[in-house]
Formats: sequence, structure tokens, C-alpha cells
Amino acid sequence: MRFEPPNVTEMNEWIAVGMLAFVGLLIPLGMMAVSYLIRPSVPETSKRATYESGEVPTGGTRIRFNIQYYMVALLFLIFDIETVLLFPWAVVYLDAVESDAVSLAEILGPMLIFVAILLVGLAWAWRSGAVQWARSPFQVEAEADRP
Amino acid sequence: MIGIEHYIVLSMALFCIGLFGVLTRRNALMFLMSVELMLNAANINLVAFAFYHGNITGQIFALFTIALAAAEVAIGLGIILVLYRNFRDVDVTVPSQMRW
Amino acid sequence: MFPIELSEWAALAPVYILVLSAMVLFVFDSINPRTTNRAFLAGTTTAGSLAALAVAVWFLLAGVGTPQADGGFGAISLFDGQLVVDQLALFFIVVVTVVTSLVSIASYDYMKGHTYQAEYYTLTLLAATGMATMAASNSLVTIFIALELASLPSYALVSILKDNRGSIEGGLKYFLIGALSSAIFVYGISLVYGATGFMQLDAIAENLDADYGPLLGLGILMLIGGFAFKTASVPFHFWAPEAYEGAPAPIAAFLSSASKAAGFVIAFRVFTTAFPLEPTASVIGVDWTVAFIILAIVTMTIGNFAAATQTNVKRMLAYSSVGHAGYALIGLAGLGAGANDVVMGAALMHLFVYGFMNTGAFLFVGLAEHWGVGRTFEDYNGLSAKAPIACVAMTVFMFSLAGIPPFGGFFSKYFLFTASIDAGLLFVAAALVINSALSLYYYSRLVKALWIEEPVLERESLSQPVGLYAAIVFAAVMTVVVLPGFGPVADAAVDAAAAVVA
Repeated sequence: MRFEPPNVTEMNEWIAVGMLAFVGLLIPLGMMAVSYLIRPSVPETSKRATYESGEVPTGGTRIRFNIQYYMVALLFLIFDIETVLLFPWAVVYLDAVESDAVSLAEILGPMLIFVAILLVGLAWAWRSGAVQWARSPFQVEAEADRP
Repeated sequence: MIGIEHYIVLSMALFCIGLFGVLTRRNALMFLMSVELMLNAANINLVAFAFYHGNITGQIFALFTIALAAAEVAIGLGIILVLYRNFRDVDVTVPSQMRW
Repeated sequence: MFPIELSEWAALAPVYILVLSAMVLFVFDSINPRTTNRAFLAGTTTAGSLAALAVAVWFLLAGVGTPQADGGFGAISLFDGQLVVDQLALFFIVVVTVVTSLVSIASYDYMKGHTYQAEYYTLTLLAATGMATMAASNSLVTIFIALELASLPSYALVSILKDNRGSIEGGLKYFLIGALSSAIFVYGISLVYGATGFMQLDAIAENLDADYGPLLGLGILMLIGGFAFKTASVPFHFWAPEAYEGAPAPIAAFLSSASKAAGFVIAFRVFTTAFPLEPTASVIGVDWTVAFIILAIVTMTIGNFAAATQTNVKRMLAYSSVGHAGYALIGLAGLGAGANDVVMGAALMHLFVYGFMNTGAFLFVGLAEHWGVGRTFEDYNGLSAKAPIACVAMTVFMFSLAGIPPFGGFFSKYFLFTASIDAGLLFVAAALVINSALSLYYYSRLVKALWIEEPVLERESLSQPVGLYAAIVFAAVMTVVVLPGFGPVADAAVDAAAAVVA
């Protein structure tokens, strides 16, 4: 590996980075300090409420969420990330269309197969109830004896 | 000028932080996050080397790594969920019915 | 030679068949969720894997991918060399599909009454797809993707018994160590890429650059970590006993045979194609066979000594599976001493025979779990009185695993032994003999329990589930008949090895 000796231009770039960090800290801290100095102090209990709109919160914050939240989040995560795999395909798409070497079927085919497989997965998840928000009592009962 | 060695140092540091987390954390979720750090250290390397070598292979592979990491997390969270249901805890040292 | 002229993409037909069967199950489960039609599910899985097996055997016999130098067709490279179909790939696709068929037949009875039927078989097929793709991967990119495709369903399969604490614990440990090792593996890939600028294995070999020695050395070390996880070798073997013990027995059979074989094929291909011995040694300063010699000896010793102290049969088999990984590592440790194709061919033969005998042994444990007789050696006492056929089969597996002459396991071990002597690895050969002698002790303990010991409790007569019996008996028959048929298998293995070591 090659290590280049530091030179003057390199130092200048680092000064710019330092300045950016400094200014980035200075502005928010300065704004907080100014607002602390000029704001009036009116202590009042309603200001300390969780929701200033007046809604009284019930229960603690550490409650267990419905498992469906996680199901939907996981599904979203998978399908969202899979679109990343279309990205390289999109990059070469225009070049491929313009060249005569490959036919349109060869260009679109792999992508369509990929999306089709994803659709099969989505259909499966849908049918097996992974995206179902609420269950009727009948469904809950059917679910209960599922080990 | 920021050379390739800076990226290697950055990614090595990130990898070591991840490895440290893996070795010391007992919470399964923290373990997952640490593994993600290690995977992203590899991604930094891949993208930096792709730029350095002037070919795009590394960048494309980084995309695949991201997708696979997401899939791994999905499976991992599922396993952690059943772990919680069975053991009422996400501490990875709690399930020890079998000896190591 | 070629009965029908096929286009090049058809070379991956076994993999396509596996994917298609998985998709059929997906669609079937979408149309008819929570089906209990086990016959259709297990039938589709078995038919799919048998069809893939038939096609792979046909390709192997037709000479697909034989080296052009010998007048063959040449290795078929697909997708710009990302995947390659040669004899080595086909050989391992055969091993994987054989194990998958046995496992799916046995699962018909074992998974009876389980809720997630369709999921189980779909995941099995997807994992088999991943393993078959691993066999054909010729680039670090495809290797990693295929490895994850094989690993992710396996994590879910190990922990599929959602209310069984052992299954969850095994799955968790398998997942944690798997995630860690795949992170290390990717980092290794990124370093190798940094040192050479390429991901494809042949291109890596052409671009080994002395400037990046340390980077490449570290990368190779991390790659070895990834292989060690997949093959359950030291230092990433901890998951194996837990995962195999907790998993449903057919899945334990699947992982310990097919998954291990797939791990070995990528290790063989990467180290022979991408890192040829002398050029790599001149770049990184050390010979990588040294690492494999150490790993082979340590793995077989740890596996066998740990197995000898177990009281639980499934756990004993799990540790013995670690020991067998050590034997197969000789295939890499013995390279560079002349007869490369023979050394690696011996390892391939061992993995092939192991695919039958180890799968059969785990399926027998599955049968015992199906009967509900318990897990320890004592619980197996006197089973032969009630189930003589299965016990004969199990005896065959045990003696073959130990390497007693009339069975397949003896031949593969004998070849490994002579090959390691030829390669000048006297230490490794000695370790192989000592460990085999030790393994005879604990394997024969189980045989003694089955045939000689009196049962602790009186038993009712035991059921005879058709699927499990069929799979076990077939595996036993194959373990025996590879003896007269060993010539072709040995030839195929040596040819397959020659394709990469050249």
C-alpha cells in the first residue's frame, strides 16, 4: 500500500472539515443559548403533561405491541430491500436496449421472473395471514390449536 | 486526499467494534446489531475497493450483501421472537438446556 | 455421447427443478393454506429432488463438463463464468439431491401432526437449491449468495418446532454462529477483492499481486472461517452438536450430510481455482495447506473425543459428524504433493458415502424419536428384538461410519489414508487411524446396546412407519452396494477432483 506524504492542500481540506463540524455544532448550541436567555419562564403543571393537547395517557410506555406490527415490518423490510436488486438491472437496461446483441425478452425476462417470484412470496404471505390486522373470533379459535 | 488506506482503517475499526459487540453482548438483539456493523464494514471495503480498482463488481456485491443482511435479520428476529415466547427472555445465555 | 443436444443454460437443470418444486409448494400453500395433505407435499418434494438427482446423474454419465483436454465437452460456464457446471459440481449436486430425497421421504412420517407442513418442505427444497447452487458457484459473489440461500432456510428448519425448547435453542445458536461467520466471510471476500480487484475465481488466480500480501492473507484466513462454519469444522463447530440435537432428526441428517458436502465443495473450488498453491504461497508467504493440515487434525480429534464421552445418541452422532469433517479436510490438506486428484477424490468419495451412512444414522434416531423410546444409549437397549430390520440397517451405518471393511465407509477412509501417506502427511494419516480406532469404540457401544443389552423397560411392539423405513433401508442398501460399485464412484470422484486441481 502506498502512503503519500501530507501536503499543504491536504491540510486545507481537513481545515474545511473541521470548520464544518465547528459551525455545525455552533449554530444549534447558539440557538439554544439565545432562546434560553430571552424566553419567559412560566412554570405550569399542564406543560409537563405527555400530551399538551390535554389527552391523559393511560398505562406505561413499555407495553407489548401486537405481533402483527413486527410481521408487517419484517415483510416491508424484505420487499423493500429486494428492490435494491433491481437497481443493477436498471443501470444496464438502457445500454442493453440500444445494443442489438440481446433481445428484449432476454433483457426483461430475468427481471420479470424475479418479480414473479416475489409476487408468489407476497401472495403466500397474504394467504397465510401475515398481513392480516384483525381476526374474527372464528379465526382466533382456528389459530389457537396451531402449535 | 483520502486514500484507500483510510477506508480500510475505517472498515477495520467498524468490524472490530462489531466483533467486540458480538463477543460481549448477551442480548440477542444487540448481537444482531453488532453483526450488522460487521457486514457494513465489509460493504465500506467493497465500495471503496470498487472505486479504487475502477470496476463496479464491488458495488453490485455490496447491494447483494445489504439484501442478504436484511433477509438474515428477518429470520433472526423470527427466531428471537420464538426464543422470547419459550424462555421469556432475549438473553442468548439463558437457553442452556444442552451443554455447549 | 450427448443423447440430445441441449443448450447451455440447461446444464443447471437440476437446480431449476429444485426451484420449480419449491415454487409449486409455495403456490399450493397459497391456494390451500394450512393444508394437511402431507402426501402431496412430501411427494412433490421427493419427486422434485429425485428428478433433479436423475438429471444430475444423467449429465454426469453423459460427460457434461468433462475437461476438453481429454476429449470432453469442457466445463460449461454460465452467466459470464459466475456459475460453472463441471464434473465436480454435478458430483455434489448428486450428493445433495440424494440426501434431500431421503430426508423428504423420511419426513413424511416424522413430521406427522406438525402444523407447518408446507413451510417445512418448501424450506427444505430452498435449502437444497442453495446447496446445489453452491456446488456450481464459480465466483465469490455467487458463492456467498448460494451460501446464504442454503443457510437461511436451515436456521428456520432447525427451530421449526416452535414449542420445543431444544429446537429453539439449537436454532438460536446455529443462527448466531451462522450470522457471525457469514459476516466474517463477507469481510474476507471484501479483502480478497481489494487485493485482486476481482470476484470471479479464475480472475482472482490471475491477479494475485505481491503488493497486497497481508491483505490477501487475512482475507483467505477469514474465508476459511466461513467454510469452517458450513462444514462444522474447528473453530466454528460449536453450533453443530446443539443444532443437530435440537433440530428434527431429518433436518439434522440434512444439515450434517448435504450442508456439509456443499460447504466442502465451495472450499475445494475456491482454494484450487482462486488460490493456486505456489503463486498464493509466494504472495502471502505461507502455504495454505498448513492451515488445513492443522484444522484437519484438530477437527477430527476434537470431534471423536467429544463423541466418545456422550450419553445421548443424537449428540454422539453430531460430534462424530464434526470428526468426519476432519477426515474430509484431508482433501485440502494433502494438495500440492503430486497426486492432487487422488487426495481430493478420496475426500469426495468419503463425502458421497457419508451422505448415505450419516443420513441413515440420523434417520434411525428420527425413527427412535418417532417411537418415543428416548434419547440415550440405555434407551436404545434391546431395540433389535422389536425392530430387527431397522437395527440391521443402523448396524451397517455404525460400522460403515467407523470404517469396518465390508462397508462403503471403509473404502473411502482407506483411500484417504493411502492418499495422505502418498502426500507425505504421516501425522495426518496417524491421526486418521487413531481417531478411527477411537470411533469404533463409541459406534460399537451403540451396536452393543441395540443387539446385546437387555431393555430397561418392557416395550410394546413398535410401529413401522413406511417412509422412515424406506429411507433407512435404502440408505443401508446403498452403503453396502457402493462396495461392488465403488469403481465407478471412485472414478467419478477422481475425475471430478481432477477437473479443478488439474
